[in-house]
Amino acid sequence: MRPIRRCLALACVLALGTLRAGSADADGMVSIPAGTYAPLLRDRNDPPTVDVAAFHLDVRPVTNAEFLAFVTANPGWRRSHVSPLFADAGYLGDWAGDLDPGPGAPAAAPVVRVSWFAARAYAAWRGRRLPTTAEWERAAAAGYTTDDGATEPAYRDAMLAWFARPTPSPLPAAGATRPNRLGVRDLAVLVWEWTSDFNTALVTGESRSDTGLDRNLFCGAGAAGARDLTNYPAFMRAGFRSSLRASYVVPNLGFRCAR
Amino acid sequence: MKTQALLLALASLRLAAPALSAASGHACCDAAPAAAAPLSDRSLYQLDAIWTDDTGAAVKLAELRGRPVVLAMFFASCTYACPILVHDLQAIRDALPAETRARTKFVLVSFDSDRDTAAALHAYRGKLQLDAGWTLLRGADADIQELAMLLGVKYRRDANGDFSHSNLVTILNAQGEIALQREGLRGETGPAVRAIALAAP
Repeated sequence: MRPIRRCLALACVLALGTLRAGSADADGMVSIPAGTYAPLLRDRNDPPTVDVAAFHLDVRPVTNAEFLAFVTANPGWRRSHVSPLFADAGYLGDWAGDLDPGPGAPAAAPVVRVSWFAARAYAAWRGRRLPTTAEWERAAAAGYTTDDGATEPAYRDAMLAWFARPTPSPLPAAGATRPNRLGVRDLAVLVWEWTSDFNTALVTGESRSDTGLDRNLFCGAGAAGARDLTNYPAFMRAGFRSSLRASYVVPNLGFRCAR
Repeated sequence: MKTQALLLALASLRLAAPALSAASGHACCDAAPAAAAPLSDRSLYQLDAIWTDDTGAAVKLAELRGRPVVLAMFFASCTYACPILVHDLQAIRDALPAETRARTKFVLVSFDSDRDTAAALHAYRGKLQLDAGWTLLRGADADIQELAMLLGVKYRRDANGDFSHSNLVTILNAQGEIALQREGLRGETGPAVRAIALAAP
């Protein structure tokens, strides 16, 4: 075959492959169109909705196999080498060795027990980044069939059921759950996930009338209050994020990338 | 009229700046006997980020090595808690024995990469009458985020460019490791003073 025909043939094969995979591109990401996000926690001076520009999001969380490729190429992030500043003890604790996930961490399962620093370094290595909280929540707000998953019993119940289950060990494969309307899988039903700005959740109490509020702890016009307590999964996620520190590793906390 | 007065004040501060930067003591000019040993993996002085102080000089945190450091993050336009935070730090400083006080560095790092230029920080130094024992730093957003993440400082930029942030005071030992952290304002100075005394080599 002449070079140009070979190129065309290759392009056709790639395009078909992409179509077969649904709306995910060859890199395992989907395009999320511009939209808005109504933050659960916001300062009273902030507007009720936030614009989220269009971006790309991984269809599923990063797997053990993918993270293995990262630590293979980046020895400083291996379990026995990592600085305690950047990851607590317990980093990749379910792996059998530095370069061996082992039976406790199946290749296709989401990588967990990784700190924010490690997740960020992985994303940078892939030429990506961590999603912001707004981006992640915007993607998770879409249901299976509508733009508002909170109004779809099946979508909401899947998230609620996740809270009710103990974490399976080992974790199941990533990317196996039903995609939502935007083509994203595993949102809030598999693992908690890091965001780039998780440390913006300044949770002090649910309202300004909270007499337990210690205003000396936070500088600001009044730390953010919760807007809507009926969205239990979102509230749980906000509470969880506010409890994190960047070096923490948690048995069911992983991440996915954005671009 | 007000602008002229401000410019005059800034001009006089800039004239004083060379004296201030010499007195603020970069590591080259101070005896730092521990500097030869390698840093531990818990030391914040491993970080490569290049900050700028209020004279415009480039500063790495590693230059603080060899003395106790009391560090907090702030922004100069803050009218709510940051002035109290600085006052709180001054109370700690005043409670130190004279010899320890002379060796301890008080470091304020700004969240506000947009508005807290070197000149703005220098004006802040003048406004709060912070002497050479204080270092004021500004830097890039990614470095601010990295430092805040390592310290455990929560912060967010509001719609109007101000910052909501936790009020965390961190004491670093001479090797740049976190010796003590204290959340909140107007606490007792005792634990902090003791930690600094222990941190002094």
